[in-house]
Amino acid sequence: MSLSSLVPLIGVSDVVVGLSLGSRLFLIAVGLSLIFGVLGVLNFAHGGLYMLGAYVTLAVVTGVIDNFWIAALAGALAVGVVGAAIEFAAIRPLYDRIDADLDQLIVTFGFVLIIHETVRFVWGSGSYSVDPPALFDFSVSLGGSTFGAYRLVVIGLAVAVLAGLWLFITRTYFGSLVRGTSSDREMASMLGVDVPRLYTAVFFLGSVLAGLGGALSAPLQSTSPALGDQVIIDAFIVVVIGGLGSMTGAFVGAMLIGMMQSLGPQFISAGSIAIPFLAMVIVLLFRPEGLFGGIGE
Amino acid sequence: MSSENRSSVGRRRFLQAAGAGTAVALAGCSGGGGDDVVRLGATYILSGFASLYGEAAERGLEMAQSEINDNGGIDGRDVEVIVRDTEASADTAIQQMRSLVEEDNVDGLFGLDSSGVAQAVAPQAAELGIPYMITHAATPFVTSPEGEHENSVGNDYVFRDANNLAQDMYGAAQTAAELDATEWATIGPDYAFGYETWDYFQDFCAGLGVDAEFTAEQFPPLTTGDYTPYISSILDAEPDAVITPLWGADLTTFVGQAEDAGWFDQIDHTLFSVGMGTDLASDGSPLPEGEYASTRYDPFVPDTEANNSFRETYYEEHETLPTYNAEGAYRALYLYKEAIESAGGTDPDAIVDEFTGMEHSGPVGDYRFSEKNQATVPAIWGTVTYDDEWESNVLDPVNVYDANPDEMADALADSDLPTGV
Repeated sequence: MSLSSLVPLIGVSDVVVGLSLGSRLFLIAVGLSLIFGVLGVLNFAHGGLYMLGAYVTLAVVTGVIDNFWIAALAGALAVGVVGAAIEFAAIRPLYDRIDADLDQLIVTFGFVLIIHETVRFVWGSGSYSVDPPALFDFSVSLGGSTFGAYRLVVIGLAVAVLAGLWLFITRTYFGSLVRGTSSDREMASMLGVDVPRLYTAVFFLGSVLAGLGGALSAPLQSTSPALGDQVIIDAFIVVVIGGLGSMTGAFVGAMLIGMMQSLGPQFISAGSIAIPFLAMVIVLLFRPEGLFGGIGE
Repeated sequence: MSSENRSSVGRRRFLQAAGAGTAVALAGCSGGGGDDVVRLGATYILSGFASLYGEAAERGLEMAQSEINDNGGIDGRDVEVIVRDTEASADTAIQQMRSLVEEDNVDGLFGLDSSGVAQAVAPQAAELGIPYMITHAATPFVTSPEGEHENSVGNDYVFRDANNLAQDMYGAAQTAAELDATEWATIGPDYAFGYETWDYFQDFCAGLGVDAEFTAEQFPPLTTGDYTPYISSILDAEPDAVITPLWGADLTTFVGQAEDAGWFDQIDHTLFSVGMGTDLASDGSPLPEGEYASTRYDPFVPDTEANNSFRETYYEEHETLPTYNAEGAYRALYLYKEAIESAGGTDPDAIVDEFTGMEHSGPVGDYRFSEKNQATVPAIWGTVTYDDEWESNVLDPVNVYDANPDEMADALADSDLPTGV
C-alpha cells in the first residue's frame, strides 16, 4: 500500500457521495424495516423490488415518456402494486401458520428468484444506464472535488421521505392504526382494525419506498440483474445496525453504511466492502437490539 | 450449430440460433456423433456483465464456420460448433467443458473470456486429454509451464491464439515511456486479472527503465454498480496517469461515473488495457477520445489482404468493426482446420502435436506458437479516436509492439513473473 493511500484526504465529494449512497440505502432499508416492524415479515424480495423500480424507470424513460420524475413515480407505484400483490396472494395466507416466519421467509426468497428471472427475461442480462433529470445533469466543483449535482437531490429527497414518514406514522389516523397494530395485533383486531387490509397497505407503502429507491438510484449506478442481490445485503446490515422496525435507526444506519462505503476505499485498496459487515458484527455483539428500536421513533 | 445444445443460454439466443439454422447446422443435428462432421466446443461468457464478448466471439466463429463449410470443410467434413455459456464462472466453465467432451464428444475446445476461469480450466484440459485453444483470457500463467511460478498451470494441451496480459503490459510500459507522466495509479477488478495487470505493468516499467512511481491502487469487485468512492480515492491521490483493466459493462459504468467526477480533466492520461474489446457499448458510453487503449487485434493492422477482407466481410454482415474477440474465435476454427488436415484426423494428441510450434497466419498477421504454446502476436496500443467513416472508435495513431519472447524475458529479468510466451 502506498503512502498516499495511508493518509486519506477526505474531501467534500467523499461526504456527498457517502450521504447519497446512504440515502439510497435508507429508502430500501426503511421499507424493509417498516414491513418487519408491522407485519413481522422479513422480506427477502425487497432487493428485487428495488431493482424492479430501477428497471421500470428505465423502461418508462426510454419507451414511454422522456421525463425522469414521471418515470420514477411510475417505477415507485408499479413496484408498490407488485409488492401489494405479493403480500395479498402469497404472504397473507401464511400469517396463521404455526411456522409462519419460516414459511414467509421461504416465500419471499422464492420471489427473489422470480423477480430476478423475470427481469432477465424482459431486459436481458446486460446493464443499462439512466441519465439524471436534465435540470440536475451537471457537475458541482467544491473544495477541489467534483460530484454530480443529482446526488444532492437524492440526499434531499431521502430527508424529505424520512420527515414525511415520521409525520405520517405519528400524526395521522392511519399512522396510529399502524403503531397500534404493530404493538398488539390481536388487540387492534378486536378494536375493529381491519388488520389484513392494513398489512397489505403497509406492504404497499414499503414496496413503494423500495421502488422509489431503485428509481432514484438509477442515474447513480448501472442497472443490471445483479442490483437486487447486492443491495439487499447492505439493507439488512442497515436495519440490523439501526434496529429492526425503527425509521430513525434505518436513517442513521444507512448514512453510517453509506459513509463507510464512500470512505472505505480511502483506507484500503481492496476489500473495503467488508467494513459494513464488521460494523454489523460489532453492533450485534454490544447492542444486539440495534442503535434504535421500535416503530415510530 | 445445433440449437438443442444451447438451452442454457436462454430464449433469445435459442430463437437466434433456431433462426440462423443453416444447412450446416441441420447436418450437425442429424449427424449425432458420426464421422461426417468435425465437432468443436466453444465456451464464452454469453450472459451477464461481459456478454458482449461472447456475442462477438459467436459472430467470429460463425463467420469462419460458414467460410470453411462453403469451401469444402475440413478434409471434406463439415465443421460444427457447440457454444456454451461459462457465465464467467470457473465451476460452470468446467461443467460445460466436461459435458462437451463426455456427452457431445467434441474433437477440440476453444474460447474463454476470463483469466480466473482460464486458470481453473487449464488443468482440466490436460486431465481430459483434449486440446484447448484459448482465444481471449489473458493470464500469462496458463501458458507458463507448471512449476515455473507458483500460479503456473500451463500444460501441453492448452494454447492461446491471442496476446496475453504480459505481452499487453509490455506494450503498455512502452506506451507509458512516451508519456509525460511519472505518478501512476490503477483501478482494476478485484480478481487475478486486476492484480496481474498492475504487477506486470510495474515490473515491465522497472525492467524497461521507465521513469515511473506507483502511487495508488483500487480493486473494486466485479459488477460494482457505483465506482464513485473508488474514483474519488484515485483522484485524491492525484496521479498523472492511470492504467485500468476494467472490462465489459463494468468499464462502461466506470467511464460514465469517472466523467461525472471530473476524472478526464484531472488525470492527464488514462490507459484502457484491452479497452477496445468493450467499445461496443450499447448505451452510448464509449471510451473518451484522446485517451489510450490496447487491443489484442486491430481491424486495420496489419494492412494485409487477409485482414482487410476479414474486416470488410464482418462489417458488411454486422455493421460494426470486428473486435479482438471476434477475430480470436474466427482464427481458432482455422487453426483447428489446419491442425486436423495436417494430422489427417481428429485424434486429440495428434492435434496437440500439430498446434505445438505451429506457424500460422490470419487477420492478426503472421505468428507462431512459442515453446510455451503462446501465439507470438504483437501488443497493440494507440490513441482512441472517433472515425466517422466506420462510426466507431478506432486506434489512431496506433503502435505495434512486437512481443519477442527473449526481449520480454530480459525485461522481466529482475521480476519473478513469467512472460507466458
